[in-house]
Amino acid sequence: MAGAAVLGRLTTGWRVAEVVDAVDETPRVRTLVLAADGWPGHRAGQHLDVRLTAPDGYQAQRSYSVASPPGEPPAITVERLEDGEVSPFLVDEVRAGDRIEIRGPIGGWFVWEPALGGPLLLVAGGSGVVPLMAMARLRAAAGSDVPARLLYSSRSWEDVIYREELGAVADGPAGLEVVHTLTRAQPDGWTGYARRVDEALLREVAWPAESGAQAFVCGPTAFVEAVASGLVALGYPSERVKTERFGATG
Amino acid sequence: MSVGTRTEELRLDGNALGGALLELLGPEGTAALGTCGSCGARGELARLVVYVRCPGIVGRCPACDAVLVAVVEGPERTWVTLAGLRSLELLRGDG
Amino acid sequence: MSFFTRGFEGRRRDDAPEGRLPPGQYLTGGFPVLSAGPTPHTPLEEWTFTVEGGAETVRWTWDELRALPSETPTVDIHCVTRWSKLDTVWEGVSVDTLLDAVEHDASYVLAFCDGGYTTNLPLEDVTGGKAWIAYGYDGEPLDPEHGGPARLLVPHLYFWKSAKWVRGLRLLDDDEPGFWESNGYHLRGDPWREQRYWGD
Repeated sequence: MAGAAVLGRLTTGWRVAEVVDAVDETPRVRTLVLAADGWPGHRAGQHLDVRLTAPDGYQAQRSYSVASPPGEPPAITVERLEDGEVSPFLVDEVRAGDRIEIRGPIGGWFVWEPALGGPLLLVAGGSGVVPLMAMARLRAAAGSDVPARLLYSSRSWEDVIYREELGAVADGPAGLEVVHTLTRAQPDGWTGYARRVDEALLREVAWPAESGAQAFVCGPTAFVEAVASGLVALGYPSERVKTERFGATG
Repeated sequence: MSVGTRTEELRLDGNALGGALLELLGPEGTAALGTCGSCGARGELARLVVYVRCPGIVGRCPACDAVLVAVVEGPERTWVTLAGLRSLELLRGDG
Repeated sequence: MSFFTRGFEGRRRDDAPEGRLPPGQYLTGGFPVLSAGPTPHTPLEEWTFTVEGGAETVRWTWDELRALPSETPTVDIHCVTRWSKLDTVWEGVSVDTLLDAVEHDASYVLAFCDGGYTTNLPLEDVTGGKAWIAYGYDGEPLDPEHGGPARLLVPHLYFWKSAKWVRGLRLLDDDEPGFWESNGYHLRGDPWREQRYWGD
């Protein structure tokens, strides 16, 4: 392809969305349910971009995964990052009735629907659980019996996002199997994993590679890369390990 | 926080290019298959090694690190270079 | 601009000393690391700095560069992503010292770096005490994440011009846009005239 910059006439893709609900998930994390005229719908795993504009015209932009399953209005779950620019605003300041600009849905690769089959391995580091939750919610809403397991690494039990819902969705014969690991602090009597995800932990929890499982891994870059290499070392072909890295600046 | 960690945190993947290239490639643009003009490696744009706010966005070949895509979003315009890609393959889905 | 986000102020601008912040900038306490690629690691015994395009190509080894007269400029730096940092202290060789070793009649330079990054500048923006090849920051050797072993330092322009991992300057008769200048960022980049993008 010949070089140099392409300058075309682009429509902006940005639209105004109203915050219709704000739900506190953990002390650091909040879900914002949005309503946007003409939202074209989204797939589980996609994200949207949020743009904030200050009175002097300064704009800041960040990407957030859509937590809600297809068919529901777009909801984003935001973790307040220390010294962040956008996330503290979305978690602490925004209230129902406010309007923000969004762009999306975005993403054609890190997506899942029941027709793509399984078994499904979802591996989440912290707020990386958000797009995987959209997949889990879609699976539950569709009544899918694709075998699915979520390995979810959090700092402590208080930091587990969607804690009750994950407990509930595990019920039943076709339930999502949820395995937690708590890396910094564990409640009294905790008998689960209490360390960062390593190859040994993956070997115990992941579907065997021969099962043909499809893995989705999401979280901070270091987490994603460690888990992805671990799965490849267990025999997962790289086409069956899909990754989404979250930035650490918010 | 160690300095090595900072660079690691800055390194994302091609999912992070999707918004900037939304109008050019559509919502599923990250599934487009690119061929690296330097080493010939082929894969989905979502698999690129992406650096953001550097000050623009740069997408590099995961095999050889060559710059394949650069995007700068200015106040009213977006500049895109795909010069590092030998080709792009997009699934049309129109049967 | 017709749409504002209620309650969003962006970063604070009112805590900087009078007149020190260019338009649209805010003060940062840290030193953000911005990178367009992996950190290169050229061993010092292989590292050279080259000035080419003049009557002769001149090259210094690391030891030779370090033996040149050095300065410790204290400067303010301004990134096009809006953060600014005041009174940063560097150590390095003035670009004047390096260009004095070469006979030339160039009007422009193109800085080139490990990893392939390039940036262009008019000659007058790197001469007259305005630019250095910097190998020390804040009293320590320059960290690789911030461009070590040596980076170009041109503090009066946006910091994308202060090319990290610099390996040389190419002297040119005509301006030749570098990496970001080819992709939407302003050819010159004066923060006091807010020259961020093409057409600014």
